[in-house]
Amino acid sequence: MIRCIALRKTYGSVVAVDDLDLEIETGEIFGFLGPNGAGKTTTIRMMVGLLAPTSGTVTLGGHDIRLEPEAAKALTGYVPDQPALYDKLTGLEFLRFVGGLYAVDASDLERRGADLLEEFGLEACADELIETYSHGMKQRLTLAAALIHRPKILLLDEPMVGMDPQGALALRRLLAGLAAGGVTIFLSTHSLGVAEELCDRIGILDRGRLVAIGSLPELRARAAERPDLEPFDTSLEAVFLSLTAIVGGEG
Amino acid sequence: MRRAVAGEAAASLPHLLSPRLLAARNALARAPMRALLLALVTALFWAGSFVLFERTLAYFQTITALGPLLTQRLLVMLFVSFFALLVISNVVTALSTFYLAADVRLLLAAPVSYRRLHQARFVETLVASSWMVLLFGLPAFLAYGVVYDAGPLFYAGTLATLVPFLIIPAAIGVLITTALVLVFPARRARDGLLVASVALAAAGYLALRLVQPERLASPAGFAGFAAFLAAFEAPASPFLPTTWAAEVLIALLGARAGEPLFYLGMLASTAAVLYLASAGVVERVFLIAWSHAQEGRSGPRGARPLARWLRRAAAPLPRTPALLFVKDLTIFFRDASQWSQLLLLLALVIVYVYNFSVLPIDDGSTLAATLRDVVAFCNLGLAAFVTSAVAVRFVYPAVSLEGRAWWALRAAPVSLTTLWWSKFVIAFIPLGILGEALVAVTNRFLGVTPGLTAVFMATLVFVIAAIVSLGLAFGAAYPRFDSRNAAQISTGFGGVVYMLSCLGVIAAVIALEAWPVSRLFWHGAAAVPVGGVERVAIALAFAAVAGGTTALWAIGRRAALRYLADLQP
Repeated sequence: MIRCIALRKTYGSVVAVDDLDLEIETGEIFGFLGPNGAGKTTTIRMMVGLLAPTSGTVTLGGHDIRLEPEAAKALTGYVPDQPALYDKLTGLEFLRFVGGLYAVDASDLERRGADLLEEFGLEACADELIETYSHGMKQRLTLAAALIHRPKILLLDEPMVGMDPQGALALRRLLAGLAAGGVTIFLSTHSLGVAEELCDRIGILDRGRLVAIGSLPELRARAAERPDLEPFDTSLEAVFLSLTAIVGGEG
Repeated sequence: MRRAVAGEAAASLPHLLSPRLLAARNALARAPMRALLLALVTALFWAGSFVLFERTLAYFQTITALGPLLTQRLLVMLFVSFFALLVISNVVTALSTFYLAADVRLLLAAPVSYRRLHQARFVETLVASSWMVLLFGLPAFLAYGVVYDAGPLFYAGTLATLVPFLIIPAAIGVLITTALVLVFPARRARDGLLVASVALAAAGYLALRLVQPERLASPAGFAGFAAFLAAFEAPASPFLPTTWAAEVLIALLGARAGEPLFYLGMLASTAAVLYLASAGVVERVFLIAWSHAQEGRSGPRGARPLARWLRRAAAPLPRTPALLFVKDLTIFFRDASQWSQLLLLLALVIVYVYNFSVLPIDDGSTLAATLRDVVAFCNLGLAAFVTSAVAVRFVYPAVSLEGRAWWALRAAPVSLTTLWWSKFVIAFIPLGILGEALVAVTNRFLGVTPGLTAVFMATLVFVIAAIVSLGLAFGAAYPRFDSRNAAQISTGFGGVVYMLSCLGVIAAVIALEAWPVSRLFWHGAAAVPVGGVERVAIALAFAAVAGGTTALWAIGRRAALRYLADLQP
C-alpha cells in the first residue's frame, strides 16, 4: 500500500533522508522511530507530497505521489507534527472545509463531521473558533480532519504529542480498530511504549538512514547479535538505544 | 503582589530588551540591502518633509505682524496632532507588548519582577509607538531651527523636550490598556482598537481632502491658511503637555520670550509621575490583567450566518473554488486586521472620485479641454495605481495568510493549479470591479466619449490581471507566516518590491498607450476619421499592451506555482 524506493532528500551537502526503501502492506501499522533530527518528519512530508524528494519515488495505493498526486492524496489522511489550523474558523467549519477538499458528499459530510467531533470529544466546542482551542483539542481536530474522508492510508507525525493519557489511549484503540478494518497506518513517534504496543513492524531511522526494520522480536534478535554488547533487557527502548548507538559508533 | 527582589538582580533591563535588539541586528545582517533601501526611502521622506516645512515657515516669516503667532500656532497644532496620534498608537501597542506578546509567558515564568517587566515593556511600547512621530516630527523641528537660525541650545532643548513628551502618552497608553484588559478579553479589545484606529485614519484622510488643501497652492489659498492658523483656537490650556512642549521650543527659537526651563520641568515631572503611576498600577494588577487577557473569545453558539450566507453565495462555483471562497472570506470578515482595511479603501475611493469631481475642466477654454484629455488618460494610470495599492493590501498577503495551515491545502487532493486559479479569481473579480467602476464613473465626470472609456476599461482588465498574478507570485516568493496582520505583511520588503513592480507595469502601459490615445483624442476632437496606416499603428500599440500584460500574467502564474510548490511554512 505504501512504497518508498530509494527515497532521498538533501539540503545542499546535508543528507536528510538517505536512500530509504520501505514497503508497508495493507492493514499494517508501521512505527517509524528515530532520534530527533533523524529525518522522520522529512520522510513523512515527502510521502504526503508536502516536500519534493531529491530523488526516489513514493507510491501510495499504487499512485506515484509526484505523477498522480491527487489520486494518491485522495486515499491518504495526514496528521502533521504541529496542528496549525485556521484560527478564525470553527471546528465544524474546518471539518467541512477539509471534507470538501476530499470531495466528501455534502450530506455525508455533515453527519460524518458531527460523528467525528463527538468521537473526539469536541462536540461541545464545534461552533467555537479554533483560536480558543487548547493544543490537545487542536490535535484531536486535526485527527478528525484526517479521518473525514475515510482514508485507506493514514500518515501520522508524532500524533501523541500534547495528548493526555485518556486521549492517547483512545487514539491507540482507534488506530488498532482502523488497522483491523484494513487502513494502512504509518506512524512516527517518540513514544516507544506506543510503538511497542501498537505496531506490527517498526523502522528505526538514524541520520537519514534506515538502520533497522522488522517486528519487535526481529529487532531484538538483531540487537542481540552484537557480541560486544552487554546482555540487556529486551524492551524496545533498549533495542532502539543499542541500534542507534551502533550506528553512531560506526559513523 | 510584588515578586521577590532577587528577580530584579537576575534580569537587568538591557537583558530583557536584548532579544528585540538582537532580532533587529540579525534582520539587518541577513538583509542589508533591505535596510539600505529603507534608509534611502526614509532619507528621501525626511528631505521632502523638511523642504515642505521650511518653505511654509519661511513664508510665515514674510508676514510681519502675524509671523510669530503663525509659528506658534503651527507648532501647537503639530504637538496636538502628534500627542493624539501617540496616545492612540501607544494604547494599541501596549496591548500587544504587555498582554498579547508570546514571550510574556516566558518572562512571567522566570524570576523577573513585575516592576522590571513593566520597565522592559514600557520601553518597547514607547519605541514602537514613537517612531512615526520621529519620522514626521524631526524634519519639522529641524526646519524651525533653520528658518529661525536657532543655536545649538534649540536642538538640545528639542531633544530634551521630546523625551518626556513621548513618555507621557506611553504611560497614558499603558494605563488605558490595562484598564481595558481588566474589562474586556484582550483579543476583543485589540480588534476594537484596531477598527477604531483605522476608522479614525480613514476619517482623518477624508477630512483632510475635503478641506481642499490644494487651495494652499495659490497665494490666496495660502493666505487663507495663514488666516485660519491665526484664528485657530488650538487648545492652548496651560495644563496640557502639548502647550508646555510648544512653549519650550518657542522660547528657545527666540520667537517670543518665555520660560523654557519651567515648562521643561512641567513636562519632565508629569512624565515621571505618569510613568510611576503606570508602573505602580501594572505592578499591582498585572497578573490579574494578563490572566484575564488569556481568555478566548467565545462566539455565538449554533448559527453563524456569515458562513451560511457565503456557502449559499458560492454554490454556483466549482467545488474547490467554492470551498476556498467560503474559507477565505469567512476568515477575512472574522479578522478585524483584515476587514478594517476596507474602511481605508472606502476613504480612498471617495477621495479619488471627489478629486475628479472638483477638477476645473468646465470653463470652455482650450486649456480646460487639454487638461480634461490629459487627466482622462492619466485616469487609467491612476485607477491602476489605486488597484495596485489595494492589491498590495489584499492580494499580496493572500499566501502568507494561509499561515502554517498551508499543509491542509497541500495534503489534500487539490492541484496547485486549481489553488492558484481559485486565489486568482477571488482576487481578480472584486479588483476588476473596483478599477472598472473608478474609470467609468470618473470618465463620466470628465466627459470622455464612451468609445475611449471602453478602450481604457479594456486596457485595465489586462493590467489588473497582470497585477493580481504578480501579487500572488510575490506573495509566494516572500511569504511571512509569522504575522497574522495583513497590513504588516504588505509593508515588508516583498510588498515594497511588488508595489514598485506594479508601478513599472503601469508606467510601461501608459508609455505604450500615450501615442495611440492622443491620436484618438485628436481625431475625436477634429471629427476626422482615423486613416488606414494610423489605424494599424494604433491597433499594434494596443496589441502590444495586451500582449505584454498577458505575458506578465503568465510569468507571474508560473513563478507563483513554482514558489508555492516549494513553500514550507
